[in-house]
Amino acid sequence: MSAPLLRLDTVSRAYGARRAVDEVSLDLHPGARHALIGPNGAGKSTLLHLIAGTLRPTSGRIHYAGHDIHRWPAHRRARAGIARTWQHPALARPLTVVQNVLLAVPGQHLAALRLRPRTSAAALHALARVGLAEHAQWPTSQLSYGDQRRLEVAVALAAQPRLLLLDEPSAGLATTEVTRLAELIRALPTDIAVLLVDHNLDFVTAVADTVTVLHHGQHLTTGTPSDVRTHPDVRRVYLAETDPTNHVPTAPKATTDPPAAAPPILRVRNLRAGHHGAPLLTGVTLNVRAGKVSAVVGRNGAGKTTLINTIAGLHPALSGTEILLNNRLVTGLSARRRCRAGIGLVPQGRRLFAGLTVAEHLALPRPHPGRPRTITARQILDLFPALGERRHHRPHQLSGGEQQMLALARALLAAPKVLLLDEPSEGLAPAIVGQLAAIITGLAETGSAVLLAEQNLALALDIAHDVAVLDRGTIALNAPAADLRADPARLHDVLAVPTGSPR
Amino acid sequence: MTTILTPAPAPAPAPAPDTATTQHRSVSRVARLVPVASGIVVVAAVALPWMVNAYVVSLAATALVMAVLAMSAQLLVGLAGQPPLGQAAYLLVGAYTAATLATLTNLGPVQLLAATAAGAVVAAVTGLLAVRVRATTFLMVTFGIGELVHAAAGQWAPGGSEGTHTAPVVALPGLPPMVRPGWVYLYVLACTLIIGAAVIVLTRTRFALLLRGIAAHEPRVQATGHHTSRLLLAAYTLAGAIAGAAGALLVAVTRYVSPADAAMGISALALAAALIGSGSMIGACASAILLVAARDWAGGLLSGHGSTLLGLSFLALAYLPRHRLAGLVSRRDRERT
Repeated sequence: MSAPLLRLDTVSRAYGARRAVDEVSLDLHPGARHALIGPNGAGKSTLLHLIAGTLRPTSGRIHYAGHDIHRWPAHRRARAGIARTWQHPALARPLTVVQNVLLAVPGQHLAALRLRPRTSAAALHALARVGLAEHAQWPTSQLSYGDQRRLEVAVALAAQPRLLLLDEPSAGLATTEVTRLAELIRALPTDIAVLLVDHNLDFVTAVADTVTVLHHGQHLTTGTPSDVRTHPDVRRVYLAETDPTNHVPTAPKATTDPPAAAPPILRVRNLRAGHHGAPLLTGVTLNVRAGKVSAVVGRNGAGKTTLINTIAGLHPALSGTEILLNNRLVTGLSARRRCRAGIGLVPQGRRLFAGLTVAEHLALPRPHPGRPRTITARQILDLFPALGERRHHRPHQLSGGEQQMLALARALLAAPKVLLLDEPSEGLAPAIVGQLAAIITGLAETGSAVLLAEQNLALALDIAHDVAVLDRGTIALNAPAADLRADPARLHDVLAVPTGSPR
Repeated sequence: MTTILTPAPAPAPAPAPDTATTQHRSVSRVARLVPVASGIVVVAAVALPWMVNAYVVSLAATALVMAVLAMSAQLLVGLAGQPPLGQAAYLLVGAYTAATLATLTNLGPVQLLAATAAGAVVAAVTGLLAVRVRATTFLMVTFGIGELVHAAAGQWAPGGSEGTHTAPVVALPGLPPMVRPGWVYLYVLACTLIIGAAVIVLTRTRFALLLRGIAAHEPRVQATGHHTSRLLLAAYTLAGAIAGAAGALLVAVTRYVSPADAAMGISALALAAALIGSGSMIGACASAILLVAARDWAGGLLSGHGSTLLGLSFLALAYLPRHRLAGLVSRRDRERT
């Protein structure tokens, strides 16, 4: 084969004494479809940052198309043809969707007042490739999370890259969208090399020819997807010795059902909410009982996050909405008072405090004086041992998985009666998802009510007692999870129906 | 409005959702009012010297100078998201350039161009320091630069801290020097409109789009292959040029320049006007005029309580209708792009 397009030569990156990337060497040839996998904190995102130039390696060399680029700034690498996406959508939200793409389309003059037809066609083509052409004139902030992720891919493609770096492109996407994304990446011209980080092993298998496994910043193995799945070390560190075909480890099931007569702690009646006048939720009715996990599933843009935020008081509810906590109407209360009343939230994308250390995060939440503190910081650190070792680190020094743990820990410390979880499994390695499932199930067993909005159907079916499907602004199906596990076709029927309007 | 970002030969016309159509209808009604309203404002501005006394006319000319300085600040804070607290320094550079040049020629446009160039050159040099940092640190660095220029002017500029007087300027060759405040005002108004038109064209270029991208997410703009600090330096230089032009206009109005013209309060007023204008150039101009009116005119009526009124109007503008106005303006922008 010809010379590699990208060659990493014993590249390391240290944060203080911790080596996030430890002497990793890697070759990428033109046309490669290469995936990086590994448990949370393995240094996958850091490695992408080192290649893209947002971080410089502490030691080692990076060769790209015959140049040593390890000292090049990010913009110079981008001009040389390295395009990338971020783990969380990095978009200019005040701009429209097409403007975000136009930022990246090459060959435009700074003083240009009008777009050349070629430029706008290139931008629209990039949007059409990811299925967002219809939303071209929307403000980016109005896109659903999954659509924002697809927009990021469009921005990267619009730059006409030779090397495409994708950081967890499938996170937050629904199953059908993941399939489409896999087809898109496979169909890219063969002179483009793709290096992607992802936790969705089915997606990785569908896309990648070669898989590299990282563990604690070190190169563990490289091979074809099937080689890697059967590699004993990989199964040990990454899949936590579970069946590799089922990447959501089975959580301990709550076998002892609490008495069915338990009254719902949280009742949602006729919840209506919208974005900028466009109705999104048009009458959602839900009950969440003590000791039970209720899951809300649905496609991207179905309104899962809006539902969670409306219950938490972060998104305005429209008239007619009733939200009752322990038979007390909380619809008129502010988010702060709902939190005091016992509604805890783990938001999508974690929303950690950038300047605070882990220990400071855990010192912040305070339960209402009227209620006994059910969880102490010490218990939390027992639940999340990884956080204990990182007490003095700030969020940007944590891996995605550790950040999610911290967001969950922060919510749990306030001892909520109802815990709202928005996509907790997003961006987590399968073994960690298994731990998370066990934690959530354990919480329910202690009497908390949990409402889970989840894209990961397998996880939702696994740990929830009830599953509600959100579609076209209302609950299309609400059934015990056990029934749906027995008859998964019912769920797929409801979820696969395409809706007429984009929202 | 322009089609700067509307893909002209759209291959697939986007089917607008119902909600967008209703929004479009209400917005287009607002958009239709804008040319009418701006026409009325321009006519009223031109007719002003015949309607009010000389004192108010010279105040109005000062307000226009502040409006130009506010546009300079808005270029940095409204587009690129970096708040400057030293724009008066470049106004002072422009003013001293115009005053020095006035010993050779009293032709206003020549002084204006020279002041613009001087503002740009000084901003390009001092901007090397400013664009290395962002946000609050940018505010501190630009404040520091402003104070240094202020001090340097007191030390070395002609007239020292006393300042220097200049002769009245001439608008065009062959015309008599402008002594009456009405003519000076009309000259400043014409220059302001030309500068404003140039700035509005600037905000519709790709350069402005990249600056807005930097304000929203700088690493993303870097990842699309742009040297963001160089773009910011270009914006800083342009802002310095506009501030320099404001300096020449100030000399035309007051026929006097002193280091006090670069006082921190002037920079702060320009930044406040830009912030109150929430991202829009017209908003920045309108707030600058309102702020000068509150400080000098209404303050004069209230026997020297100008700063009280200024403080109160800052609070009122921050809390009262700005968000609604901002919403209106940004919705219109969205429609346009």
